[in-house]
Amino acid sequence: MLLVSLLLHLLLPILSYIPFFSQQALEKPPVYRVNLVNKIVKNPQAGRPEAAPVKKKPVVKSKPKPKPAVKPKPIPPKPKPVPVKPKPKPIPPKPKPEPAKPKPIPKPEPKPAVSKVQENTLQQRLQQMRATQERKASEQARKDRIATLKAAALAESSKIKSPITAAPVGMVDGKGDEAGVSAIAFVQEFIQQQWNFSKYQASGNPEAEAKLFYNAEGTLLHYKFIKKSGNSAFDESLTRAIAKSKQLPQPLPESMEFHIFFNLKDMLDRP
Amino acid sequence: MKYFKASFFIIMTLYLLCSTAFAARIEISAPGEQTIPLALTRLLPMGVGGAHPAVATEFQQVLLGDLELSGLFDMTNPASFLSDAGKLGLRRTEIDFYQWRMLGSEALIKGGYSITAGKLTIELRLFDVITQRLLTGRRYVGKVTDVRKIAHTFADQILKSLTGEKGPFSTKIAYISKRTGHKELYLMDVDGYKPIRMTNHRSIVLNPDFSPTRKELIFTSYKKGNPDLYRKEIYTGQESRLSLKSGLNIGGRYSPDGREIALTLSKDKNSEIYLLGTDGTIHRRLTNHYSIDVDPSWSPKGNKIAFVSDRRGNPNIFIVDIHSREVTRLTFEGKYNATPAWNPKGGRIAYSRMDDGIFNIFTIRENGTDERQLTFGSGNKEHPRWSPDGRFLIYSNDLGGNGKSIWIMRADGTGAKRISAHGGNDSHPAWSHRW
Amino acid sequence: MLKSTIARLAVMLFVLTLLAAGCAKKPATEEAAVTEQSTQMEQQQPAGVEEQAVTDTGYDAAAVARKAERDAAKGLEPIHFDFDQYVLTETAKSTLVNNAGLLRAAPAVKILIEGHCDERGSDEYNLALGEKRALATKNYLVSLGVVVERMSTISYGEEMPIDPAHNKAAWTKNRRANFKVKR
Repeated sequence: MLLVSLLLHLLLPILSYIPFFSQQALEKPPVYRVNLVNKIVKNPQAGRPEAAPVKKKPVVKSKPKPKPAVKPKPIPPKPKPVPVKPKPKPIPPKPKPEPAKPKPIPKPEPKPAVSKVQENTLQQRLQQMRATQERKASEQARKDRIATLKAAALAESSKIKSPITAAPVGMVDGKGDEAGVSAIAFVQEFIQQQWNFSKYQASGNPEAEAKLFYNAEGTLLHYKFIKKSGNSAFDESLTRAIAKSKQLPQPLPESMEFHIFFNLKDMLDRP
Repeated sequence: MKYFKASFFIIMTLYLLCSTAFAARIEISAPGEQTIPLALTRLLPMGVGGAHPAVATEFQQVLLGDLELSGLFDMTNPASFLSDAGKLGLRRTEIDFYQWRMLGSEALIKGGYSITAGKLTIELRLFDVITQRLLTGRRYVGKVTDVRKIAHTFADQILKSLTGEKGPFSTKIAYISKRTGHKELYLMDVDGYKPIRMTNHRSIVLNPDFSPTRKELIFTSYKKGNPDLYRKEIYTGQESRLSLKSGLNIGGRYSPDGREIALTLSKDKNSEIYLLGTDGTIHRRLTNHYSIDVDPSWSPKGNKIAFVSDRRGNPNIFIVDIHSREVTRLTFEGKYNATPAWNPKGGRIAYSRMDDGIFNIFTIRENGTDERQLTFGSGNKEHPRWSPDGRFLIYSNDLGGNGKSIWIMRADGTGAKRISAHGGNDSHPAWSHRW
Repeated sequence: MLKSTIARLAVMLFVLTLLAAGCAKKPATEEAAVTEQSTQMEQQQPAGVEEQAVTDTGYDAAAVARKAERDAAKGLEPIHFDFDQYVLTETAKSTLVNNAGLLRAAPAVKILIEGHCDERGSDEYNLALGEKRALATKNYLVSLGVVVERMSTISYGEEMPIDPAHNKAAWTKNRRANFKVKR
């Protein structure tokens, strides 16, 4: 009796584990964005990972900022921010939250900068002018990003009218009691933001896998490619992304190994 | 009850064990940034030749134009460059990559030039800032007037290094211009620089196309009264009539292997698509229909030809298999689809569609699905042709009422810009193969 | 005198017949024949007195032919087409009936029928369309009794508009087949 019960119970987690992982690899797991100023916790509470922490703390703080499934421009600073004069006025259009319901998660759109200018029916010339303007603007925007973010966070805390404004920091499927985000969600977001790759470099549907081993301080101890795509532009861009992720901006709850599947499913516009 | 407690404990332990034994799985299905931050430093004088700022400026301008057109890059603002930009050091070990990383650059172009005894030497390097690797290095030696050529050639090389496929910037564009009052054949660089008139027929010249294997163009001219097909060697200027059947000899297009020419003849009182040998003899007739059949364009494999026909009422794009001569219809939308151009890398066919009296460029997959409109708004955009690498399209555009000009854009419709000057009524562009 | 007048008339007639039956493919030969004849005529003029009457009579016949040619050259009206069409409209047909009359009256005249299109549409398609217009015109004239060998066709597509404006009025004018008398 005991044995049977034990076996059955044993089976449960194992069963739950295996399909859970393969499922994760097939569908993409958390599609919501993560606000990288949120603390990495072991048992995140139910909430939203893109929300900003509430309490005034040394770093960037603001009222919760809903950030739905639709991928806007990544929010936080690059690892080595440019030492620039902060221009604290304009709220950049990109990190503007677009409230949406959390569960039926639409495919994240690629950044609009180079893709569908087609949508608008303005004249070519206008498009062109805008393109050059955008380019200049994005340059400036990058430099201002950090400063702007701080200002924006502050400003938005008073502005946001969205119904989920009050969403606490946590994970959508969070079952714990800590205000923060899971390490997996955090690392996914962080590495993605380090990854630069243009759709004009892509050919075919490249896929690669790498294992990254981080210690509890968030330092990359070693990594290896499990599978390369064979597209050297793609593989090299991943090497760069990993090199830029040598140090996470926050410690992890424990040393962790991540098995990361890189692909372009959400970028390539190829029905 | 006791069992339950015990089993719960064991399960928890196993659960923890599992979580450490398994790596956390993450899928990243798109890059966070879809451009490569690139720092392009100014060429610095090297060696004994002294400083020639004009060379550095022209080089910078030409290279930047190509790189921006590629759409790959987010150029790091030169105003933010730090001390390393002013140092000639071209070796990996001489570069302070940390500076570039601070600026957010992932790639870096450095170079030097010297002019000695009328010879221009330009040495160039493309580095990966993050991994501190040399991605490509080139040294070019040429005439002082070769600055633009060197810049275009290096731009091709940069794209090769970052995408695996060379850029098309050092190729040529042929087109028809009415600058002299007559439609004549011209040749220019991909950025529109230095148009050169190739014919002096004082008649009507139309539809140029480049031979894939020789430095040679074919085109149609009314020089002798009838629209005949001509062949012209680009460097010797030697010219001959290739097809002078009565009626139309128009829209000549070299097959991908350069051995045959598809064109429209109307010798039998109706326009049909034929294949000619390069000596002008008719190899075979591909279409046989009382309707209008014009505008052949070869598939990359050379086994099929897209063309325009009004056999179902309005002009639409059809595809004929050159062996079986079986004809299938490609476009169904719109009332007027014309001038197909098959991407030389395969996949899609570009064409222009007239809607409400305005032509715009569209593309469609070879199998007739996934039609997309690439251009919008006023201005007739016609005669799309692909770059040899399939990344860009050129076309004519009469936007603004100054007559037609040649424009260029990326294959997805972004980055459109005019490359030929206003006032020439420039049309019928054709992109050369790599020289 | 009468005899020589008749002889001269016969020569003139011969010349005219040659002109009328001239082979389209060999204009050079035709020209040579003409010059030969006129040389003969000069040689045949022995006296100045008779010349007056003869020339008068001969002049009349040639003048008639020349007038018909002039009428044809001036009077051949262009016809117009609907957009993307090469089917002859009723108006076009009645114009062609007129043109055919002029052409039949001047059997020596050879014409070039030019097919044209408006600027809308693709250049190549319009070249083919212009040709269809020219051919449709030619075929109709043949049906009206104009000898087929007297007519040739060419298409200029949208390359030679009469009115370069970009409006309906210009397009209507430019969609046409017009006629050139070949020299």
